[in-house]
Amino acid sequence: MGESTGGPGTAPTRVIPMLELARFEGRQRLRGGAYATLALCGFAALYVVVYPTFAESMGSDIDQLLEAYPDLLSKAFGVRTLASMEGYLASELYTFGWKLVVGIYFAYAGASLLAADVERGRMDMLLSLPVSRASVVVQKFAALLVPLTALTVAVPLVVVAGTSAVGYPIDAVDVAAFHLLSVPYLLTCGATGLVASVLFDRVGLAQRAAAGTLAGLFFAGSLVVGTDLEPLGLVSPARYLDPNAVLIDGEYAVLDALVLVGTTAALLALAVVLFRRKDIE
Amino acid sequence: MAVIEVDGLTKDYGDVLANDDLTFSVAEGEVFGYLGPNGAGKTTTIRTLMGFQSPTAGGASVLGHDVTDEADLVAAKRRIGYLPARPAFDETVSGREILDLHAAIKGDERRAALLDLFEPPLDRPVREYSTGNVQKLGLVQAFMHDPDLVVMDEPTTGLDPLMQRTFNEFLDAERERGLSVFLSSHVLSEVRRVCDRVGILRGGRLVATERVTDLLDRTGKFVRARVVGAVDADAFALDGVHDIACSTTASGSGDEDGGSRDTRITECTFTYTGDVDALVARLGECTLVDLTVEEAPLEEVFMRFYGEVDGERVDGRKHRRARDSADTGDSDA
Repeated sequence: MGESTGGPGTAPTRVIPMLELARFEGRQRLRGGAYATLALCGFAALYVVVYPTFAESMGSDIDQLLEAYPDLLSKAFGVRTLASMEGYLASELYTFGWKLVVGIYFAYAGASLLAADVERGRMDMLLSLPVSRASVVVQKFAALLVPLTALTVAVPLVVVAGTSAVGYPIDAVDVAAFHLLSVPYLLTCGATGLVASVLFDRVGLAQRAAAGTLAGLFFAGSLVVGTDLEPLGLVSPARYLDPNAVLIDGEYAVLDALVLVGTTAALLALAVVLFRRKDIE
Repeated sequence: MAVIEVDGLTKDYGDVLANDDLTFSVAEGEVFGYLGPNGAGKTTTIRTLMGFQSPTAGGASVLGHDVTDEADLVAAKRRIGYLPARPAFDETVSGREILDLHAAIKGDERRAALLDLFEPPLDRPVREYSTGNVQKLGLVQAFMHDPDLVVMDEPTTGLDPLMQRTFNEFLDAERERGLSVFLSSHVLSEVRRVCDRVGILRGGRLVATERVTDLLDRTGKFVRARVVGAVDADAFALDGVHDIACSTTASGSGDEDGGSRDTRITECTFTYTGDVDALVARLGECTLVDLTVEEAPLEEVFMRFYGEVDGERVDGRKHRRARDSADTGDSDA
C-alpha cells in the first residue's frame, strides 16, 4: 500500500531519538518524586532543627560522644566530627540519609524501569512502537531525572534556609556543590538498578538485587579503608562522593564525580546491550 | 509482494519446541488466519515476527524488513499495527493518555473514527477497565496510525458478541481497503468469517496452509441425530460420514403409557463432509427427536485431516467428549 515496503535497495530509516516516552514515563514519576522530595525535606529539616539542642546539651564534650561510637559505625556513616553543623549534616543527613537511603531509592526506581513492564506484560505493547530498544532504555532512564531534579533543588534549599533559621548557618555554595556532585552518584545508583531491571524479569527481584548490591558496596567501601582490602573499596560508588570533604573542607572532588559519570554511562551502555539481546518473555 | 515471509522459523525454548521449521508467507492485501489449538505455538511466531524474541533458527521478514535486525525492523513498525494476546497498559494512566503516547510516537490519523466504533472508556485509569475495555483500547491503538499491516493475537478474546460482530464488520471493510492482516485464533468459525487463507499450526508445526473456502469444504459438519427406535450405524452409511457412533437407550418418556410404541431412542453422532441433500434425504426417513448440525469443532478438523500423528488423536477425542456433554439437548438444526 502506498509507499515502498522497503525492499533490499531501500535504506532503513533511522529512527530519530524521540522524547515522547521519556516525557510519559517522567509524568508517571511526578507523584512518587514529589513524595520522596517531601520526605527528604522533612528529614533534613528535622536534623537541622534538632542540632542546636544536641550541640548545646553536649557542649565541648560533643566529640567525646564520637569516641564512644563503635569505630566501624563512625567509619560506615562517615562521622568525622559532630562539633559543627557541617560535620553533623555531612554524616547524619548526607552520608546516611542521602548517600545510603536516597541512593537505594534510586536503585529501586531504576530496577522497576524495565522489569515492571516485562512482569506486567506491557513490554510487548511498548516494543511494538517504532522505538528502538536502546531508545526505550535511555528514555526510561531519563525519567529518573524527575525525582532527581526535585530532590536536588528542594533539599539544599531546606538545608540552607533551615541552618540559617536555627542560627548555625552553613555555606550555601558548599551545599549546592555537594548536591551537584551527588547527581552523578545518584545516577550511578539508578543505572545499577537499570542493569538489574534488564537481568531480572520480576520487579521485586531486580529491586532486591540492586539495593543489595549498593548497600553491600556502601558498607564494604567504607569498612575496608585502612585494611588490606582497601583496593576493593574502589568499586563502591560511595567512595566517590564525600560530604565531609565538601561541607567541612570545601573540597570539591570533580574528578571523582567524573568517575561516576563514566560509571553511569558504562552501566547504561551495558543495560542497552543486554536489553537489545534479550528475549522478552 | 509478501508482507510477511517466514522461512524455516524455529524457536526452541529448551523444554518445548514452540515453532518447528515454519515456512509460509502472507500476501499484500490478504487477511491471513493463523489457526491452532491453544499451546500450538501461535503466539511464539507472532512475538518473533514482532522482534520481541529471536528465532533459534531460520528467519522472517515483515514488510520486507528482517525481524532479527532490530534497526531494520524498527523502521517498519510505524507501518505495523499490533495487538497482543493480552494487551496491558500502565494501570495508573487513562486510556486517553495511553493513546496520546502512541499517537506521539506513531501517529493517530484514524483515532477519532476508531473511538466512535469501539468506544473504549477514555478518562478512567486503565486499572478500572474490564478485560473487554482493555481489548477495545488495544484495537484502537492497533489501527489508529493507519498501518499497512496489522498483526493480532486472538483479537476477539474478551469482546462481547456484539463487539465481535462490530470487529468482524470492521475487518471486512479494512480488507476492502487493501489492509494486510495476520491474526491468530483457536476458533475456526472466527477465522472462516474474516480470513482469506489460513495456516494451521499444531504442536509447533505448520500442518497446512490453504484457502478458507477449501478448508471449509473439507472440514464438514458435526451432526447429532436422536432417532426413535433402535438404529444401527449402518443406517447412515453415506459417503462423507466419518467416525459415526450410535447408542440406543430406553426413553424415559412414554413408559407410563405402557403402550407397544417403540420407546427406545438412538443417538448417533458423526462428522459429515458429503452432500447435504443426501444427508437430509436419509434423515427424512427417520423419526427425529432432535437434530444438531454445526460446524465441526477445530479439534475434529485437526483430527480428521492432520491428526493421525503421535497420539494427539487421543487429545482430540477428549475435547469432543467434553464438548458433547456440555451442550446436550441444544438444537439449532
